[in-house]
Amino acid sequence: MAFASIFVPNFMLQAVVRAEPALRARALALIDGNPPLCHVVAVNEKAARAGIEIGMTKMNAVQFTGVEMRPRSAAQEKIAHGALLDIGWSVSPRMEDTAQDTIVLDLSGLGQLFGAEPEIGAHLAWRASECGLLAGVAIAANVDTALVAARGFSGVTVIPPGEEAERLGQLPVGMLEPSTETAETLSRWGVRTCASLAGLPVLELSERLGQEGVRLRALARGAVERSLAIAEPVHFFEEEMELDDAVEGLDPLSFLLGRLLDQLCARLAARSLAAAAIRVRFELQPDFENALDRRKEIFRKIDLPGAFERELQLPISSRDSKMLLKLLRLRLQSNPPGAPVRKITLGAESARPRATQGGLFLPRFPDPEKLEVTIARIANVVGEGNVGSPSPVDTWRPGEFHMQRFLAPVEVAESTGGRRRDPAAHSPASCPNFKASASFRMFRPPMPAALELWEGRPTRVVFQGLRGDVLAAAGPWRTSGDWWREDGWRQDDWDLEIHFHPASGERAATAAGAAFVSRPGCGLYRFYFDALLGCWFVRGVYD
Amino acid sequence: MYVELHARSAFSFLEGASTPEELAAVCKANGMSAMALLDRDGFYGSPRFHLAAEKSKIRAHIGAEVTSARGWRYPLLVESREGYRNLCRLITRMKLRAEKGDGSVQPEEIAEAGGGLVCLTGGAEGPLAHALAHGGIEAAIERVEQLCRTIGRENVYVELQRHLTREEEARNQAAVEVARKLKLPLLATNGVAHAQPEQRELLDVFTCIRHHRVLANAGRLLSRNSERHFKPHAEMAALFADLPEAIANTAELSSRLQFSLNDLGYEFPSYPVSEGDSQIEFLRRRAHEGRITRYGDANECARKQIGRELALIEKLKLAGYFLIVWDIVRFCKEKNILVQGRGSAANSAVCYALGITAVDPVGMDLLFERFLSEERGEWPDIDLDLPSGDQRERAIQYVYERYGKLGAAMTANVITYRGRSAAREIGKALSFDAETLDRLSALVGSWEYKDPNDTLARQFRDAGLDIRHRRIHKFFELCQAVQDLPRHLGQHSGGMVVCQGQLDSVVPLEPATMPGRVVVQWDKEDCTDMGIVKIDLLGLGMMAVLEESLQLISEHYQEKVDLGHLPQGDNAVYDALKKADTVGMFQVESRAQMSCLPRLQPKKFYDIVVQVAIIRPGPIVGKMVHPYLNRRQGREAPDCLHPSLEAVLERTLGVPLFQEQLLRMAMIAAGFTGGEAEELRRAMGFKRSEKRMQEIEIKLRRGMTANGIVGETQDKIVLSITSFALYGFPESHAASFALIAYASAYLKCRYLAAFTAAMLNNQPMGFYRPATLVKDAQHHGLKCKTIDLTRSGWNCTLEKIPDGFAMRLGLRYVKGLRQEIALAMLRERAMRPFASVEDLKQRVPEIQKSELTALAEVGALNSLSGRRGFHRRDALWQVERAARRPGPLLEVSETPQREPEATELDSPLAQMTNEERLIADFRGTGLTVGPHPMTYRRAELKQRGIRTAIELPRLPDGTHVQVAGAVIARQRPGTAKGFVFLSLEDETGIANAIITPQLFEQDHTVVVHNPFLLIEGKLQNQDNVVSVKAERVRALDISRAEVTSHDFH
Repeated sequence: MAFASIFVPNFMLQAVVRAEPALRARALALIDGNPPLCHVVAVNEKAARAGIEIGMTKMNAVQFTGVEMRPRSAAQEKIAHGALLDIGWSVSPRMEDTAQDTIVLDLSGLGQLFGAEPEIGAHLAWRASECGLLAGVAIAANVDTALVAARGFSGVTVIPPGEEAERLGQLPVGMLEPSTETAETLSRWGVRTCASLAGLPVLELSERLGQEGVRLRALARGAVERSLAIAEPVHFFEEEMELDDAVEGLDPLSFLLGRLLDQLCARLAARSLAAAAIRVRFELQPDFENALDRRKEIFRKIDLPGAFERELQLPISSRDSKMLLKLLRLRLQSNPPGAPVRKITLGAESARPRATQGGLFLPRFPDPEKLEVTIARIANVVGEGNVGSPSPVDTWRPGEFHMQRFLAPVEVAESTGGRRRDPAAHSPASCPNFKASASFRMFRPPMPAALELWEGRPTRVVFQGLRGDVLAAAGPWRTSGDWWREDGWRQDDWDLEIHFHPASGERAATAAGAAFVSRPGCGLYRFYFDALLGCWFVRGVYD
Repeated sequence: MYVELHARSAFSFLEGASTPEELAAVCKANGMSAMALLDRDGFYGSPRFHLAAEKSKIRAHIGAEVTSARGWRYPLLVESREGYRNLCRLITRMKLRAEKGDGSVQPEEIAEAGGGLVCLTGGAEGPLAHALAHGGIEAAIERVEQLCRTIGRENVYVELQRHLTREEEARNQAAVEVARKLKLPLLATNGVAHAQPEQRELLDVFTCIRHHRVLANAGRLLSRNSERHFKPHAEMAALFADLPEAIANTAELSSRLQFSLNDLGYEFPSYPVSEGDSQIEFLRRRAHEGRITRYGDANECARKQIGRELALIEKLKLAGYFLIVWDIVRFCKEKNILVQGRGSAANSAVCYALGITAVDPVGMDLLFERFLSEERGEWPDIDLDLPSGDQRERAIQYVYERYGKLGAAMTANVITYRGRSAAREIGKALSFDAETLDRLSALVGSWEYKDPNDTLARQFRDAGLDIRHRRIHKFFELCQAVQDLPRHLGQHSGGMVVCQGQLDSVVPLEPATMPGRVVVQWDKEDCTDMGIVKIDLLGLGMMAVLEESLQLISEHYQEKVDLGHLPQGDNAVYDALKKADTVGMFQVESRAQMSCLPRLQPKKFYDIVVQVAIIRPGPIVGKMVHPYLNRRQGREAPDCLHPSLEAVLERTLGVPLFQEQLLRMAMIAAGFTGGEAEELRRAMGFKRSEKRMQEIEIKLRRGMTANGIVGETQDKIVLSITSFALYGFPESHAASFALIAYASAYLKCRYLAAFTAAMLNNQPMGFYRPATLVKDAQHHGLKCKTIDLTRSGWNCTLEKIPDGFAMRLGLRYVKGLRQEIALAMLRERAMRPFASVEDLKQRVPEIQKSELTALAEVGALNSLSGRRGFHRRDALWQVERAARRPGPLLEVSETPQREPEATELDSPLAQMTNEERLIADFRGTGLTVGPHPMTYRRAELKQRGIRTAIELPRLPDGTHVQVAGAVIARQRPGTAKGFVFLSLEDETGIANAIITPQLFEQDHTVVVHNPFLLIEGKLQNQDNVVSVKAERVRALDISRAEVTSHDFH
């Protein structure tokens, strides 16, 4: 029995190069981290020779000329890992997914298909290179020897049975991945190579390092026998369709999406799973790159030029392909890709299907799926982020609020431990001290206004073609804050009772709705002066 | 005219963002006549506010916001001395019964506090706002009525604040209603929390720190706007145009508040003498006895000087103070605690006679006025140096016991926001992640000298950060703004204040973190400024070294050395000083001192006094070092500026080196009195003011002109006085330090083993790391032995060897070994030697594996087996087994001791290589007693033409050399114009190198980050001072041992 291990060194970097093969010939460094501090996390040999080291900040690294910088791409790593699994599955159905950069295959019975072990090794290396990965391949009689050898040696290594200890002996003990504590002990002992570890007496070693010591020693001697932990099928389902001719327009796209969704849902159904999230990714005609950039605030993240990605988080897992298509269509209607699509990738994150039982005496709530479709429809009209329940934010910034997503009632019941919340319990009116003398209607966005001042106090106002004299003014009420952010604010509010000029008086009443009218032709408004913009605005009106 | 009567400073700790001085300055700048500072639960900032106000000629009203147990704060203003005393006691009471930093009062305690206080109803945190929020207008009326009953209707003002918010205005309307109903006066304040509007940003950051939040999630905890800054009359009058009486009442109340901190009522305690006796007579007798002992009966000069001093002491009623200090010194001497007065006290013959100081001021002709003068109107300052550690603690406890809990307290130490710690807190508030924070804080104040090319943008770029990022930009603005603002109150290391009556009626007292300790709310400077006499009981590492050396000498050499009677003029000492062979010697061991000693060539004690004083920023900045050394070497003639100054400047060859000389110059040349001269010193002192300096210069010139000193001579004298700047030593202080320097040099030269052991036992101290001290001792022939569990104690000890003594490293040098474990091992060892590592583990079961490993790795267990050839790795092999607990079946609680079998001691591990041993030594102990890392590479280095340190002095000036070694010190002093000084250590000694600012700029990373350097350049060998002026610096790969350097950044 023989095993082959495939190891992709410098995996993060290779994952990126795989997507952009032109980078292979250049000095390349990968950057990761949160701005403003981004670090170099991987470099190729050319970049290392140029002086770039792992751990350097981006600011330091950009000073090196001729070195390409790319962000680390989790997506590419995932795809590269998928490719690595494909390489394995392409040869053997019995495979262990050891790590993101490592797999081990059982080669039993493959001789007749692929030839002798060196040929299999060469074939695997070739397959890896075909998939854009430069991998080390090692074949040995046991799993762990193959693993250690693949990590320790480059190229294709075949270790004949009986030569394990000798071949592994020259490798550093770090290759055996000891625990930190054991690694420190071995270092203190001066045990640096597998050979010196293999030479330690096993009994004494077990007295000192316990079972880990014994295991490491056996590893170092290439004498560990274990079976493969066969890789479980993944829980992320992906379907992809590359188009000969790019598709433009929602209808033909919907047709294709529908097909892919049907397939996805069928696969999910076969595994008794449902989709918790659907991710759609379009590869676009690159000419439209600029158009995409203008939409960067709407789109989630653009990894590659000419790519459009969108994620649909479902409140309730589902495998109803028709409903999923409806939702996707609605999302795409409000945010179309903006360019012809030449490749579609549709992924589904799986979850257990929803199983709930309605209470006999509980009122019926809208079907969650329907509610979701309805919300998506509304969002399609009013814009994303503008649908939900407004809730206050802990800030002095005037008018600031946050939109909370509508929750399906069943979840409300769950989140409150089975007891439904009384919506009235949290309204301001339920507070004993709440005394609303007037309510305030806020104009969103605020209306620009012009004010005339006398000794710093407003006397006349003009807004929306209305003119009026200030009868009474209270203020200024001053707020400022978020001074550490680019969007800090400094505003002076004034509450003004305005007597509109006869010509505009009626219009005012109409324009401002049922304004708080202290006397005929008058209204009580809130104005503010934005000190950063140097402009006046009407914030709203007292009803 | 409006008076601000409710302001907080940064001494409200995280609730105010301006210093008291800033508040006073802004008050003055706006032409206001007075202001009140009400910090939270204390008078922390009051002295500074009082002094700043005095200077600005405005009135400083004192008060505090006192926290109530019910959740609000009483803003209390002090009307009279009685009120001040009451408030001090109230705050002390609430502080002492609570944890440090906490405390609150019950409303009835306000009533008990008594009169002399005025209470405002406060802003958002006041009692009125609290009642309104919780019970509406009725509750508010009830609360204010209660306040009137408690403190007197005439002492309650209804406070209004307008920060342009709706809620506050609603509260104001209710407050006006309450005031009208109860017929109480209204009072406008601005509840000031910062002097300038832009300081609101810092206040927001403080708020975050206080609430353990970051700006991004602090929400409405932050200020709503920037209106809590100081506002002038016009602005406040406009704000309260509808309530003019609220403004008018501020002036009326201000005129009522008559108390100022000048009226503190402090009295120093008297020393108890027997009935019929007086303190001065008692002191006179002690001084007389001392004089006979010190000078003999015939010394007329001493008799006269002591008589003169005693007369002044009597006149100033200071006998009690001298006796109290004498009493502490007497206690120390009785308990064999080494003690020596330092500072200006050494100018006093009375102090010398009483045994407080060890320098003879009569013999050295020291100026008494520097210590005490009638004009100065402040208490004298006596500082006592004690061995750091337990001995000093015993002296402090003695003072506590003698004067009681409320009669003596430590002075506070106001911990301010500085450098990296400030950067970290601000960075956190701005939500930087840990790694960015590390980088940002590393940027703040790295080197003492700031290169002009070292712009902020460059520093940021080097650290990989973008300065255009708004948060990063704000970070630096805030870091600069927060510098020196108080952060919290600590305890001063040695300053104690004592009081005749109750100290708690003079200044509030607080519990210190250390159990049983009480601190006053003012720091040392504030106490001095407020005329509270303090005694500094300072811990000096070298005193502890001297004390321990004496013990070791007595124990091992069987000799009794009396520091008071050391042989003077010891040749070995002066030879060492002349050669700058001074590693470990007090005050003369630094790189700068070493480069001066061969030029100065000390031959007598006074030369050491000069040496101690000359390498100070004062003489260096005043450019007095080179003229003095040139004159000493006969290269230029002494010039005393004016014949009348010869007597003063003669002994320092016409160059003023000491503070006393400046004082005397002013007295002789410009006719200053002793007190005026002292005023001159203070003007040049720490809180230097240009205006004050100008005034004094005018006075100096006027006086000199009157004495006929004009023209160029006058200019020269003025220049030499004014350029002396602040960091000069008084001669008496230099002499006191010189005594200790001589003693340390004497002990090092004569009792090297004892001195080295004592130095190593009292680390950290001095200029060099223990690794360098050991190497230096080895160069002087001391045999240093490794740590050995069968022989070492906790401390480094002496061992008799055929030709003298060897020094054995102590277990304290094993990094990670807990002292209690070491002591437990020593106790066990004393009963029976350890037979093996397992035996050790069994008998000291608390020992952790990491500790056993640390011992084994540094070779401390090599002798445990008693077998030759047992090496560190053998021990490490045994440790792993011993440390692994056997299973419960095999565990035996009382295993009888047995000798290990030979096979058990065998290990399959290879012995450590030299490099591995070096790495283990430095990692495990920070030093090696084995060969220096450079030794192993010498042959190769020699081939490359690299010289050893010992070769350099023999080479002629200007030789092109290469020198290499471990960097033991890197310095970039503020006075050196960007030059960097490196000390490189090799197996033969220490070589010095100078890096020019250009080269440093070019090779910054190499110089700063590499433990071993190769320096190539021109040798400077002048006057026996040897250094290499670097032309090229390269990193050298010698060893991976973690050799650390002492960097003065």
